[in-house]
Amino acid sequence: MKKGRAFPRVILTATLIYLLIPLLATLLYSVAKSWQNTILPESWTLGWFRDLFMDPRFTLSLWRTLWICFLSVGLSVVVMLPTIFIVVVYLPRLEKLLNVLVLIPYAAPGVVMAVGLIKLYSSGPVAIAGTMWILVGVYFVAVLPYMYQGIRNSMRTIRTIDLIEAAELLGASKLMAFRRIIVPNVLPGIRVSVLLSFSILFGEFVLANLLVGGQFETIQIYLYHRLSESGHLASAVVICYFLVILILSGILLALSGILGRQSTAASKKGSGQ
Amino acid sequence: MSYLLIENVNKTYNSTSVLHELNLEVMEGEMVTLLGPSGCGKSTLLRCISGLTDMDKGSVHLEGRNITPLAPKDRNVGMVFQSYALFPNMNVYDNIAFGLSMKKKSSQQIKSRVEEMLQLIDLTEKAKSYPHELSGGQQQRVSLARSLAVEPKLMLMDEPLSALDAKIRKHLRTELRQIQKRVGMTMLFVTHDQEEALTISDKICLMNQGRIVQTGSPDEVYSKPKDEFAARFIGSYNVLSGEELSMLLAEPAYSKSAGKYALRPEAIHVKQNSLGLQPTSTSSGSDAAAHICLGLVEEAVMLGNIIRYRIEANGVRLLADVLNGDQAMKFHEGDAVQIQFDRQACLPLAPSGT
Repeated sequence: MKKGRAFPRVILTATLIYLLIPLLATLLYSVAKSWQNTILPESWTLGWFRDLFMDPRFTLSLWRTLWICFLSVGLSVVVMLPTIFIVVVYLPRLEKLLNVLVLIPYAAPGVVMAVGLIKLYSSGPVAIAGTMWILVGVYFVAVLPYMYQGIRNSMRTIRTIDLIEAAELLGASKLMAFRRIIVPNVLPGIRVSVLLSFSILFGEFVLANLLVGGQFETIQIYLYHRLSESGHLASAVVICYFLVILILSGILLALSGILGRQSTAASKKGSGQ
Repeated sequence: MSYLLIENVNKTYNSTSVLHELNLEVMEGEMVTLLGPSGCGKSTLLRCISGLTDMDKGSVHLEGRNITPLAPKDRNVGMVFQSYALFPNMNVYDNIAFGLSMKKKSSQQIKSRVEEMLQLIDLTEKAKSYPHELSGGQQQRVSLARSLAVEPKLMLMDEPLSALDAKIRKHLRTELRQIQKRVGMTMLFVTHDQEEALTISDKICLMNQGRIVQTGSPDEVYSKPKDEFAARFIGSYNVLSGEELSMLLAEPAYSKSAGKYALRPEAIHVKQNSLGLQPTSTSSGSDAAAHICLGLVEEAVMLGNIIRYRIEANGVRLLADVLNGDQAMKFHEGDAVQIQFDRQACLPLAPSGT
């Protein structure tokens, strides 16, 4: 019996070590002054972080990345939530089409996508190639699969059509039913999709580099540029953006928790409790 | 004047006619059941009345007002779904209050109405529970209360008890009927369970293939089935062709009849062969209307309070139900028995589909 319980623990610990060692090594390297042929660094410094924070390019690129991720993911939620809702409830025949559409970004390699987009948007009515707007557009497409799967699955599990019909017969308009019943119930699905999309975009390099390159330096492009300068500095960058993602995930989780409670509280207020 | 009037409703899905020139009248405070096999169009009819499905032709009048062009939310029609459709993000209280808050009632009005509803369904102590914390029966009661709370003019129930297990289903249907009577609610109840329909209805509309085949009180529908479909669906009637009936009664008069005849299984009395009947002999006994003949028990099935015998008599197979009481009346496979029934009990049936 003891053996049976020990085995999963060993696996779990091994996995954790495997996942944490690179991170730990990066952290150590970012605070090491010199680290040549010893197990642990010979001397320590926070100088690399100081250098990093003193560099206005770093903070600027971090802000840009945050900003563009928020914009792209936000846009994706705003567009995809009603779209998926309408397809699931009113146009189930289009579901197959939507399925194929959202899977294309999965299948198309980044380079192919980027070259095609540059060609399409470098001239004509929407000449946005080289600006941050093309990146927003591309990122919107890139996170489609994650948004779609997460939201659609939670809509399926809550029997969306039955709930909407029940709400309508109780006197709610379609919009009201969507806002009061559907949105709160698919919130966990949205939360997972948003987190996933956000961390994927935060670490995205290929599309950003090809589409906007030096004109709009994101954190990944900044990292790439300084990689050749010093490994210690690059490690510090990696640790920083890992922390940013960690904090952001925490904030998003807390925020959606609050939102979830608020919608219940709102209905309570509405019902006079 | 009828409270709910449905006139010439037609509905076609992918060129299959689901409802065909359907007419229905319901009086105020009545509990009317739409009974029929799955796919007969009964649920579609409910959805057409609620406005959740558009109909191709026809009209629905409620309290003398044509509600056909109205959106579901403006029809003042409540509906209880088989899947309950409670809002998972709201507790029992908020579920019941939802419709009231949509109607912009004051918080005081909402509070007193929700409490009244909770008392009606006897779930006051569950007000703070979420749907997933309730049993199926409790969820369906909440669903009923949620619909009743907004005082709809008509309540539609789409197989509300089908997802529940037998014991709770029987209990809940009694409760449902009591609530309906107490509130005086006009209800249209859809079911495929004939026992359920017979127990709770003021009126049963038997449906088949998009048409109402027969309408009447439970007693009328059960004891005077109009056609073969009705006889087969509503009970375990013996449906005999004219030829079979003339063989059974040894009267050639019926053999020319093209129509069919129905004979209730409980109208056939099964006794010990005390008259010493021979296989071919028949007798009218002392009562001129009674027909007596010899039968052979082919199968005996225990159904609890009744025993159902499959008996072969004069080359005709019959089902006969006997109350499971007297030990001396129990027969086994292969027993020769004397069967007796009233000739009047053989009901002529109209051809199906008219």
